Amino acid sequence: MFFALADPQRRGMVERLSTGPATVKQLAAPSGMRLPSAVKHLKVLEEGGLVASHKAGRTRTFSLNSEAMRTIGEWARSRETAWNSTFDRLAAAMLELEQEDGEQ
Amino acid sequence: MTTDRVEHTSFVIERELPGSPKHAFRFWSDPTLKARWSGCHADWTVLEEAFDFQAGGKETKRWRTPEGQELTFHAFYLDVVQDERIIYAYEMSFGGARLSASLVTIVLTPHGGSTHMKFTEQAAFLAGDGTSEQRIEGTAEGFDRLVEVVSAEARSAA
Repeated sequence: MFFALADPQRRGMVERLSTGPATVKQLAAPSGMRLPSAVKHLKVLEEGGLVASHKAGRTRTFSLNSEAMRTIGEWARSRETAWNSTFDRLAAAMLELEQEDGEQ
Repeated sequence: MTTDRVEHTSFVIERELPGSPKHAFRFWSDPTLKARWSGCHADWTVLEEAFDFQAGGKETKRWRTPEGQELTFHAFYLDVVQDERIIYAYEMSFGGARLSASLVTIVLTPHGGSTHMKFTEQAAFLAGDGTSEQRIEGTAEGFDRLVEVVSAEARSAA
């Protein structure tokens, strides 16, 4: 599941799907992704249990497997996000304080 | 949901930090300097705080939220190499239910005049039993709070 979320383009797709179901074309459009590439990313997400799809006529529609996202995905993503903002503060704090003599 | 679930994940965060590894290390090892960047929620009451930064040493933090729930953080430092590496295990609990248990590895490498920090967290997220799930993620509101707690946890676990 986390391999599935490791890629920023896939995370973008998941974010788009969190607002509602979408087709491959709709999911590829925002990042200018080519359709075969989008299909590949969606396959990874589907295998990771994060999204589900169904086909109506010639159109395949994807939607978020909200149960999966709600638990582990959100937790880990929120933790990673929190660490990143924490490390922003670390970098800022390091700038505020001069290094001790002899440090290089 | 009545089954216990454990989900494993790991993630890596790589950052360039201003200053030498020695400078960066101080911000992990010195409690005063660490508090400058890893502060927690202003409206949480601190019930307990301990920081023993050395291999075999423990760090403990315990708070009470305004809603009266207790939040605890326990860390155990497994490996400390001055200015180079820190490895610690930590667990976090909310309202008596354990949320996660993790292994964190921080590696500091000199990079020109700055420091390359590689932070790796290997985590077991505990979805919990029926009781705790009801308590902490049974409703959308509860889930929002959980996300907030997990986010805050990362800040305080730092």
